[in-house]
Amino acid sequence: MVGRRNRPPAGMSMPVNTPPPPVSETRRAAVTVALAAYLAGLALCVAGNTSSGGSAVVRTVKAKLFSPWMAPLWLDLGYDTLLTHGRAEDGDHRLEIRRLDALGAAGPVVLPARSLGGERAARWRRLARAVAEGEADPDREALLPAAVGAGAFAPWSTRDVSVRVMRHLPPDRADVLTGVADAAGRDDEAYAARVRLVAGEVQLIKSTPREELAPLVQEPTP
Amino acid sequence: MNAAPRPSGSPSLGDAIGATWTTFWFTPVGAWPLAAVRIGGGLLALALWAGYARDLETWFGASGMIPPGLLAAWRSPYGVSVFDFLPSSPLLWIAYLAGGLVLACVTVGALTPVTTVLGALAFASLLHRGPMLAGPADDVVAVILWCLAIGRSGDALSIDGGARSRLGRPSPAPSVRSRIALGLLRIHAAVIAGAAALAQLKGDVWWNGTAAWWLAARADSGLVDLTGLFLRSEYLLNVVTHAIVLFEALFAAGMWIPAVRRPLAIAGLVAWPLIGIVGGEPFWGFALAVLSLGCLPDAVESSA
Repeated sequence: MVGRRNRPPAGMSMPVNTPPPPVSETRRAAVTVALAAYLAGLALCVAGNTSSGGSAVVRTVKAKLFSPWMAPLWLDLGYDTLLTHGRAEDGDHRLEIRRLDALGAAGPVVLPARSLGGERAARWRRLARAVAEGEADPDREALLPAAVGAGAFAPWSTRDVSVRVMRHLPPDRADVLTGVADAAGRDDEAYAARVRLVAGEVQLIKSTPREELAPLVQEPTP
Repeated sequence: MNAAPRPSGSPSLGDAIGATWTTFWFTPVGAWPLAAVRIGGGLLALALWAGYARDLETWFGASGMIPPGLLAAWRSPYGVSVFDFLPSSPLLWIAYLAGGLVLACVTVGALTPVTTVLGALAFASLLHRGPMLAGPADDVVAVILWCLAIGRSGDALSIDGGARSRLGRPSPAPSVRSRIALGLLRIHAAVIAGAAALAQLKGDVWWNGTAAWWLAARADSGLVDLTGLFLRSEYLLNVVTHAIVLFEALFAAGMWIPAVRRPLAIAGLVAWPLIGIVGGEPFWGFALAVLSLGCLPDAVESSA
């Protein structure tokens, strides 16, 4: 039975001088177990890595049994490529880094530059988005913007930079048709901070958006 | 209690499942399908790998923007990268260039039993060094590289095959390992297409038919400007949006329906790159086209 299954069928596209060796039952059983384990891990990774978040049982089983060997291989993934949901955070992000000294008047360095394309530009956009999104995660807050700012110290020979993440907000189609919005859309500041080196320590001073500041109330003059 | 005797000639459900499983995973397959995937996947991996070159030190250098110390917050506790341990510039470049050389060997099919494994390890290692830089194309290419490492991907269209011919050795027999690799590629193609469709359908824009507008109107990541067309015709916008999700869902299901698998896989060679271009993720589209290549029924199945 095994030999008949593994015999090369007629009509092969390439010349073959030796028949394929039959797969023993033992080997087949071992491969079946390995495949079943991997497919179970794949199912749990897809279920546990979605943007909706996985259930506790899926997270736990995956973390205990599958992540230890699937994560190092870059296989602990959800594959949930949504492309867009039309939200602000789905827009293109970019980093703007400006040195805050006399030479900073030249303007910020924009990453990726508008002229840059391809996967290199896409990776810069993902980095910019990670900077902005990290602010919503207590475990990641300030880590990446501080590192990005500090990464500019040495090449620019400076100790004080601003890091800003701008995101492009595409216009609503209906607004473009009615002339309310321009087809080019507009840019929005997703994150801004000052990063400086003081006494060998990297300090991050986050800029607070103007709408989050309390209005200055002046005491009425008697 | 005695079970009722089964009529002779009608296999039980368990036997049928076992036979299907055995046929799917253990029927030997020729070398060409996986060789084609190797060339396509290798070229993609090389292109993605090369995309790091200009910014390698800016990101991963000794005073780079992504120091190893912050990675614990971004990657799995089991994630590890050889690039974590290469702080100096020369070592970083040596490892990077060595990885590129290995992926080039995978593409041309040189020393494939070794280079496919090393290439998959190197690719995963680079992605772990900067997980926030990785995109959907990287995820698909990582899967392709591991499948190439499992199968005998260097048996045809390769330097290994050429060397074998020059030495007068016989052509390799159809391989069960290659069948397993192609089976895994097909499963991943279906899973990735299905997961993408499900992820998209969580958003209203994929239901109300405007998602393609939000993709086209993005400032930088769009490769072709379709905004003018979409402004002129709402129906066209809706059709493009729905067609993307419909194709993904059909592809995910159709990989398991013999009657439509071949036409869907052939359509995928064109449709996936188009979806990638419209969606601003061209490499993701090309990677899925390579997966489609692995889903084409091979000569063994065609003659069966």
